[in-house]
Amino acid sequence: MRSSVSPAPARFTDLGIRIAGVCTVLAVFELTARTGLLPRAWFPPISEMYLELGKLAFGWPLWVEIGRTLSGWALGIGLAAVLAIPLGIALGTNNLAYRLSKAVIEFLRPVPSVALIPLAVLVYGTGLEMKTFLIAFATFWPILLQTIYGVQGVDPVAMDTARCYGLPQSARFTQIIAPSAAPFIATGLRIASAIALVLAITAELVVGAPGLGQAIIVAQSGANATRMYALIIVAGLLGWALNSCFQFVERRLLRWHPAQRGEEGR
Amino acid sequence: MTRRIGYLLLPAILPIAVLLGYGIWSIPAQNFYFPPLPEIIGFFRDIWLFDRIGSDLVPSLARMLSAYAISIGLGVPIGLALGFSRLLRTACEPVVEFLRALPAPALIPFALLIFGAGNGSKLFVIVLGAIWPILLNSLDGARGVDRTQLDMARSYQVPRLARLRHIVLPAASPRIFAGMRTSLAIALILMVVSEMVASSHGLGYFVLQAQRSFAIPEMWTGIILLGILGFLLNAIFLRIENRVLFWHRAVTRKRPTKARSEATDA
Amino acid sequence: MLDVSQLRKVYGPDPNAPPAVADLSFTVAEQEFVCILGSSGCGKSTMLRCLSGLDSPTAGEVRLRDRRVTKPPEEMAFVFQDYSRSLLPWMKVRRNVSFPLRYKGVGNRAADDATEEALDAVGLAGKGDLYPWQLSGGMQQRVAIARALAYKPRVLLMDEPFASVDAQTRTGLEDLLLDVWQRYEITVLFVTHDIDEAIYLADRVLVLRAPAQIRHSTTVPLARPRDQLTTKQQPEFGQLRAELFNALDAQPAPA
Repeated sequence: MRSSVSPAPARFTDLGIRIAGVCTVLAVFELTARTGLLPRAWFPPISEMYLELGKLAFGWPLWVEIGRTLSGWALGIGLAAVLAIPLGIALGTNNLAYRLSKAVIEFLRPVPSVALIPLAVLVYGTGLEMKTFLIAFATFWPILLQTIYGVQGVDPVAMDTARCYGLPQSARFTQIIAPSAAPFIATGLRIASAIALVLAITAELVVGAPGLGQAIIVAQSGANATRMYALIIVAGLLGWALNSCFQFVERRLLRWHPAQRGEEGR
Repeated sequence: MTRRIGYLLLPAILPIAVLLGYGIWSIPAQNFYFPPLPEIIGFFRDIWLFDRIGSDLVPSLARMLSAYAISIGLGVPIGLALGFSRLLRTACEPVVEFLRALPAPALIPFALLIFGAGNGSKLFVIVLGAIWPILLNSLDGARGVDRTQLDMARSYQVPRLARLRHIVLPAASPRIFAGMRTSLAIALILMVVSEMVASSHGLGYFVLQAQRSFAIPEMWTGIILLGILGFLLNAIFLRIENRVLFWHRAVTRKRPTKARSEATDA
Repeated sequence: MLDVSQLRKVYGPDPNAPPAVADLSFTVAEQEFVCILGSSGCGKSTMLRCLSGLDSPTAGEVRLRDRRVTKPPEEMAFVFQDYSRSLLPWMKVRRNVSFPLRYKGVGNRAADDATEEALDAVGLAGKGDLYPWQLSGGMQQRVAIARALAYKPRVLLMDEPFASVDAQTRTGLEDLLLDVWQRYEITVLFVTHDIDEAIYLADRVLVLRAPAQIRHSTTVPLARPRDQLTTKQQPEFGQLRAELFNALDAQPAPA
């Protein structure tokens, strides 16, 4: 960080260090399982888990489960975004409306969304609708708040400049508000994505909606520990992939931002 | 003068209106899922003042808070260490990214397998979900410490440990607190989830059980209690944060605020 | 007392990369006030970091009272340019000043006395219970100076300490610095890019060119104590200003 090492070889050594780190962790798990340090029935060697994962990856059922989990995830976030982004823009530009609704937002936001699982099951049953409702409710708040922050955080000097040059309302929105709020909304969506996945899996585990979470429970109750671990790894990889996608979009949108430029320069 | 009072009362209007609206609608509506407000209030008094406080609320809270304390106790030092050592950070990055993206509820079956259905498995799941915002924000906080401050301390021969205690820790504390606030919400959610899956008491268990036995008003009292709990915990946290970080607010008020702090507090 | 010989600093692993400091040599005498003048980006800050032991030089050495500097020495204090970043916003003014003393093996009592004395010397008596951000920029830089004085150094290194305060405050701080320099009988090495400031303060002015190398050295014959009005009106002041201006402006000499 301090010395400005030339970038190309540094990137290679970094990759080496990363791989070494992952390999160390995997090797420790493998060894503890093989030597019987941990009970074999509960901790199959990690190589067996990956073998199982490979087998699963070549069959349809795994992809169907992933698809079920992701469909709830996507519908929920989509619904939340469609509701929260326009509302956030409205509340961010209108101070009166913001003050009016502030208390409601502040009260509803910290309500643990999972408390609504029983209600959702009552009203919507145990299918996709229930998952969508839960995810939409939970992800509505981060998207809404980030949108409000983004709109409120528009540089007042930029707005004044636009007004001085006589930009019409619509142009002010598309040229100034939208681009400077976009990275905040992207962050909101990234947070929402993580929350949505947690809720999708939770709903599948707790009430048995079909999907990855349910598959994990089935594997566990069928005493198939290897498959259970393989599926947990799948859940982690899924979360990681989603997070990486959103981070990529966010970085691109944030390229103009000074904090981001500083980060890249470091 | 009256205008000013009106402006201050503004945030209270909407919540009161919502509550009144529901009260007026629910009594004649006689909806099975949405029982009348007075009925819910009556049940709430019977159940939670103070019949089931000792049997459900206290154990839930105790579990959640101790898991939260463990998350802070582990997350802050590990995060600071990773922030300090470039090698360590690079080596651990893929593993941390994976574990952080892994939806914590997916680990419930795993936790049940190892720790059984007792407190251990619940603590494990809560810690494994709540530790990441604290850890990652501590990491970012340690990396973001002003170089001049560290140089100053070094030029005055302040020993390494004292630099960590008196410079790195306070300088990183705004970020650490941002992470802790996120983690508080996550800990509450995971407390409920872990109690819904395998438990014989606790708030999550109570709510789910009420729904399963179609005790709708009881279920609502549980949901409302969880909402109040989330709100109160957040409010207490903000008070503590304001007290500890008074200097940070004073400093940032003078400087233009950066988007990054807002954008990253997931 | 401070000897710099053949100092060279190259950043990064490649020793043939262009150096930030190249073969720099000079000495500073006991209780001398030396100003180092250079345009921005000429390696002044790198040089100071090497002198203070914060960075180690690629070649050459720095000796303080005949001891080689390899880490920040105890007889040295550093005042940074950016007071808002070198003062710790979570500590009160008094703690900011006394904080380094706790690790110098000074007793609590002695540390408290030194702190009060230093705050008094910079005209901040009674401000000890405020936080740095409650003070103006000039006062904050005075806190940084007080912290250096309380540390009881023999050498004070200052990296453009008055560059971020307004002109009015700046002249006041210059006079304050001359006052404490004489009272505390310390050696000062003062880096600046302001010609007038260098002449007004220094016994001797060194002009650097990039990569940090002495291009020009001149002694300042102006009498002490100096005065913002009369000193700056003397004809020698004008001559020195012209001389240094030319030295700064000259094309780099062929190597």
